[in-house]
Amino acid sequence: MVAEGAIRAGCRFFAGDPITPATGIFKAMIDALPARGGLALSAPDEISAIAECIGAAMRGYKAMTATSGPGWALMIESVQYALMTETPLVIALVQRLGPSTGGATQGAQGDLLLAEHATSGGYTIPMLAPSNARECADLTEIAFAWAERLRTPVVVLSDKEVGMTTERVDFTDGSSSPETYAVGTNGNNGTYYFNRPGDIPLFTAVGGATRVIATGSAHDKRGKLQKNSPETIDVLRHLEEKIRLRAHELEIVVEDIQPEARTLVISYGVTSRAASSAVRLARDSGLNVSHLSVKSLFPLPYAALDRALKGVESVIVPEENLTGQYRRIIAPYIGNRVLRGINKIGNMISPSEILRAIRVTP
Amino acid sequence: MNAPTPTQTRQRSYFVDNVQFPFCKGCGHTQVLRRLDEALSALNTPAEQIALVTDIGCIGLADGLFRDIHTVHTTHGRSTAFATGIGLADRVLAGKDLRVVVLIGDGGAMIGLQHLVHAAMLNVPMTVLICNNFVYGMTGGQGSGLTPERFITATTPDGNITPPADLCAILTGSNAQFVARTTTSDTNFPDIMRRAFASPGFAAVEILELCTEYAVPKNELTGKMLASIAEQNGWALGVLRENASRAPFHVRYAEAVRTSATPKVREHGFSSAPHAHQLAGPVSIVLAGSAGERVQSSAAALCEAAIASGLYVTQKNDNPVTQGSGFSLSEVWISPEPIQYTGIERPDIVVAASEAGLRELTSRGTMASVSDDTVFVVDESLAVSMRTRKLLPLSLRKSLGPKDAALGGLLAACHEKNVLPDETLALIARYRMGDRAKVCEGMVFSV
Repeated sequence: MVAEGAIRAGCRFFAGDPITPATGIFKAMIDALPARGGLALSAPDEISAIAECIGAAMRGYKAMTATSGPGWALMIESVQYALMTETPLVIALVQRLGPSTGGATQGAQGDLLLAEHATSGGYTIPMLAPSNARECADLTEIAFAWAERLRTPVVVLSDKEVGMTTERVDFTDGSSSPETYAVGTNGNNGTYYFNRPGDIPLFTAVGGATRVIATGSAHDKRGKLQKNSPETIDVLRHLEEKIRLRAHELEIVVEDIQPEARTLVISYGVTSRAASSAVRLARDSGLNVSHLSVKSLFPLPYAALDRALKGVESVIVPEENLTGQYRRIIAPYIGNRVLRGINKIGNMISPSEILRAIRVTP
Repeated sequence: MNAPTPTQTRQRSYFVDNVQFPFCKGCGHTQVLRRLDEALSALNTPAEQIALVTDIGCIGLADGLFRDIHTVHTTHGRSTAFATGIGLADRVLAGKDLRVVVLIGDGGAMIGLQHLVHAAMLNVPMTVLICNNFVYGMTGGQGSGLTPERFITATTPDGNITPPADLCAILTGSNAQFVARTTTSDTNFPDIMRRAFASPGFAAVEILELCTEYAVPKNELTGKMLASIAEQNGWALGVLRENASRAPFHVRYAEAVRTSATPKVREHGFSSAPHAHQLAGPVSIVLAGSAGERVQSSAAALCEAAIASGLYVTQKNDNPVTQGSGFSLSEVWISPEPIQYTGIERPDIVVAASEAGLRELTSRGTMASVSDDTVFVVDESLAVSMRTRKLLPLSLRKSLGPKDAALGGLLAACHEKNVLPDETLALIARYRMGDRAKVCEGMVFSV
């Protein structure tokens, strides 16, 4: 369904190689793209795969690659290159159990921080997390829109349990989008021209009428290599600023709020499914509890978080990792409320485990 | 912008006016770039139809010397992979003929060897100039995989004891369309460049040159000695491969797509709702058997029939990493409501169609999770003693054969638990089993 969303979004270039549990996306693109005039390439490794996708995107075409934790580790250098060169790109990261080769066929939510903090400098990598097959398609389509709008790499973070579970989806193949990124022209102002740091330079394609000067090294607005000029520092600030300024427009959450609830469950990805069941069971037994299912993990959905936290005294974050990766991210924003994690690896967190935590919450 | 159009007269140079080369005095890069500019100028390609992709290192400073052409300065060793993406998108998706040139040093070539090999194998149209001055120059003259034997560098102070790779042989072995090796002092250098640029696919030229800052002082090197260095290291000079008949990637790809069959749409037998279901609540099923005995596809058939009946389903499969041996297992939920959590803590139905399946059910704890109300169908050959009141041993393997045993057991359990109407179950049996469906129906509905 990630592939479905990508095709809807106009993606016609894919490069990847087999890696469980992301292979299904690779195979779906191999089957789908040739008939649509596109190309799905078998790359010799993940470094080649992502670099080929970035090349295609620089040429102006919507491109995607898909991988899992071990492959992502290899891609990080080029993710930074895409970010630095303001190249739109979508990477589907289907998590498995780590570290290292880990458990290829076991689900996990252990790559969140590795994915988000993949850049020197700690730049925000926009990240979307589907919980089911339908969301895989919808959020991938949105990922392409974000990548184009923000001129930056966007990650669709799922896991084995979301990516390799077959389920009923009601989906009609309706909408379609252009296969190329909208091309603007900065005229003679240069490839990376912006007026204010939050502005986004218009995209120009390599091979198009407007000359492109692209570089992954520190550069000025024209793409000229520069060491430490004020303009270069401005460009580096701009790479974060353009996303920070738009954070409020990029919030995608499912809010299931009970105004009288004192307990809030915050979940994402596959764990949102168990959390939904648990919240329903809790309410069936007369408890008040709110649930915030986060789809846009990064930039952090501050406004939705604020809304959900109103009147809440206790927050529960279930995650399939040992250290509470998203819990640590939101911890600074919850004030003096009690924050607890439900953390587990090897098996999905079940509704009854979340329910138990809701029940014993002060 | 003053990009020339094809109707304009021949452009003399793509360099910026009064170009100042940033390289050390006598550095080979200056000569390489002059030859590159001459070769491009001879082709008279409009500037906006040229993309120069540069690697890391001194040669990566070339971008700023050119006017009007597209330049992409990349990461160390990866330039060819980015160029592959640019080139393929241009040829296959855009149907254009952007001229892609890659500039890479000996360090980068060995870091990104895989990308050179891949581009050569695919035969992506591009011209790769490998500027081999035997050292990492920008970082202080360290040795690379292309440093000659006995060469003194910052990292081989006693002389290099590792024979260098023959990059051209690697690329020839990767079926590159055009491979050549030359030196900056070679009078054939311009002609080799001309032939490389005339190649319709992947063309690589390894150019042996001087790093006057690091290689020359430590090794008493002159330009005239480059050819003898090649000889000493077994590096052949000249055009080493020129395979004019090999079609570039986009040509082969267009042929392959044109002649391939229309993509298959997988069909199942349940495109319309077979019979109204009566299911009141969610049902969880664990179906286990042996690899190759159609376990997961049987579960999928049931799921498809359930979807066609208006129900929600989830299916998760499991098997050992070997795929073709050992157990095969499916976990299924069927529900009138959308399904959230897909795990199964207490299964409503368990089917064990083979010994391997039963072993897996035991090892993953399914057997321990069986309750009084679980419908448990097993092949009669398996020894199972369960606390469930609904243990049904059936002649699955003997009567239906190993390939239909799992489905037979699944249908029997679904009949017992009223998951789907018998008419729908019979439809699945006929769709999957053909002639044996009658035997199956007899067994299933007599349960």
